[in-house]
Amino acid sequence: MRRFSGRNRSALIIGLQGIRARKLRTLLSMVSLFLGILAVVAVQAGASIAERALLADIELTAGFDGTRVADLYGGPPESVDIVVDTVTGRADAVALVQVQATIGEAGVSPIQMGPSGSYEDAKTEGPADYCNTMTEAAPVCPPIGKAISVQLNAVTGDVRTFRPYRHVSGEWLTFGTVPAMAPRIVLNKEAAVAFGLYQVPAAMRIDGAVATNSITPQFIGVVDDGQGWPQAYVRMDELTAWTTTANAGMQVLLAGQTPVEQVLTSKLRAKNVPFDPYEVQSREDFKEQISLMRLLFLGLSGFVLLIGVAGVLNVGLATVGERVEEFALRRAVGTPRALLAGIVLAETLLTGLLTAAAAIGFAAGALKVAVLVMGDGDPFLAGLEFPWQAAVAGIVAGLIAGVLGGFVPAIRAARIPIATVMRA
Amino acid sequence: MTALIELNGITKTLKGQEQRRTILHGVDLRVEAGESLAIVGRSGSGKSTLLSILGLFDRPDQGSYLLDGQEIGKLAERRAAKLRSSHFGFVFQRFFLLKHLSAAQNVAMALVNGQGWLPRRERRRRVLAALDQVGIAHLAKNRPAKMSGGEQQRVAIARALVREPRILLADEPTGALDTETGTSVIETLLGATTRGCALVLVTHDRDHAARMGRIHDLTDGVLTQRVRA
Ligand SMILES: Nc1ncnc2c1ncn2[C@@H]1O[C@H](COP(=O)(O)OP(=O)(O)O)[C@@H](O)[C@H]1O
Ligand SMILES: [Mg+2]
Repeated sequence: MRRFSGRNRSALIIGLQGIRARKLRTLLSMVSLFLGILAVVAVQAGASIAERALLADIELTAGFDGTRVADLYGGPPESVDIVVDTVTGRADAVALVQVQATIGEAGVSPIQMGPSGSYEDAKTEGPADYCNTMTEAAPVCPPIGKAISVQLNAVTGDVRTFRPYRHVSGEWLTFGTVPAMAPRIVLNKEAAVAFGLYQVPAAMRIDGAVATNSITPQFIGVVDDGQGWPQAYVRMDELTAWTTTANAGMQVLLAGQTPVEQVLTSKLRAKNVPFDPYEVQSREDFKEQISLMRLLFLGLSGFVLLIGVAGVLNVGLATVGERVEEFALRRAVGTPRALLAGIVLAETLLTGLLTAAAAIGFAAGALKVAVLVMGDGDPFLAGLEFPWQAAVAGIVAGLIAGVLGGFVPAIRAARIPIATVMRA
Repeated sequence: MTALIELNGITKTLKGQEQRRTILHGVDLRVEAGESLAIVGRSGSGKSTLLSILGLFDRPDQGSYLLDGQEIGKLAERRAAKLRSSHFGFVFQRFFLLKHLSAAQNVAMALVNGQGWLPRRERRRRVLAALDQVGIAHLAKNRPAKMSGGEQQRVAIARALVREPRILLADEPTGALDTETGTSVIETLLGATTRGCALVLVTHDRDHAARMGRIHDLTDGVLTQRVRA
């Protein structure tokens, strides 16, 4: 009984034999191809990492895609109550009431933020500033005993269901427990920087609040919410001194499909307050931009890849020229032309794949080293992994290079005339 | 009775550097299974051209080529490749061994056809049998560079025999060997005819030609059988 295994397999095996017999040539092909594939891998890795980083920030500030967001400003005071009453205790809807608050010493005005819009380069009057102007090299003397102005977000539930704030330190608000007497406050990174720099004693005033006495909050944690301005998060029911204010802003976050939206719409319409949520679609909008950029860079690296392909082609043609007798002989013993072409293609494809493996390994290793060297303290960098998309791009580039570089030599090999070569 | 091979009025014109030259002018030939014949003639008389038509490397311009009574003179390349692997074995003046492969691997090479490879064990059995048939089974693992000319030509013969062909075509197989080695190579080739394989030998050596069942002269593009004295 004759049972033959597949033709592709024999092309691969003979191709491997050819590679083993001509290691130096294979190496030369790989060298010429390496930079091209590495460029493709690097571009794809960069695009994937950038996409992940930027998208993550957008998700923090806007919300997961599909989240529905409604902003309510300047409605009648009872609209806040309506919303709060409706969404409290629900997992599929959260309301944020946003007010300005001053945290710090009583009776002082808050430190002004610096020109970059950050507390880090804040200028203060008085002796502190004097210390700063003595010499350029002198460190900025932190002012002591002032207050800091933050945007206070009073939340009815866990906003992190909709916006994945990253943990920095301490803990996040807990819901569903008995409200604490002293409101627990979670700061964002920007606010934490301000408190860290200025060491303000903690008492809190809320602008425009009816109750004029200060509240003493307890800071329980810091999160990264993607905002460049100081923010503080607090459970709405822990703000006992809170009474509705006319100039409070309010934002409602809703899950994609929730009956709450219908309920709120009708309740608010009854009070003549317009309520029309929009859907967060940042990922899609954003992906379009990024894919355009990636296309541009892939085009550039494709050019580098083409130069590598020319190298493979050159080596491939030279090899076929050297192997005229071998191919004529293979044809003489009955190897079909298609299989001969397959053998040559298999060799360049394997070369392309080997090069891709080398380039992917190199890129992944380089990323690991970069993370080790620079990733200290930056949670995003520290958690950075080699994106699988880059590996896929590298393999595809290797295969394309193998086909492009092997195509012409394969046709040459298949066309070698037996009679002329074998004539004695 | 149909012959194994029957050529009728084969002509072949090759394009030289300046003009076209008709190499074969109506060649007729019958070959039966198991017989041996020699083709002799001056250098450049067209012996290799005839052999390349017999072996389906090249196609005749005119005339008919019957194999087992079937016309194969105008066969498509794919079917011709199949026939080359199933019916023909080739031995050349140069050995055409692949230097990066061992003797056994060089022989196994002829077992690759359009369908791929035989299973490993079957492949091994056939390769060793072929090497044994030409008397060099002990050299199976050696590379060509480590072998003498006679041994290399034996590997080439084993490669030609491994598929158990029905026709063995040999184009001056002893041209690169000394007399003694050449004679033993001819013995080996003749050995294959005892198994029913036909042998067509192109040679310049009278003694070798005389060992064949009959001798044909190729002169001016026409083949004539030599009458034995
Ligand atoms: N590829 C070719 N193109 C044109 N002419 C050729 C080619 N190969 C051989 N010839 C010519 O054909 C003639 C016969 O060649 P060949 O069959 O090799 O002769 P032999 O094998 O008898 O020495 C020679 O004159 C040779 O120069
Ligand atoms: Mg010749």
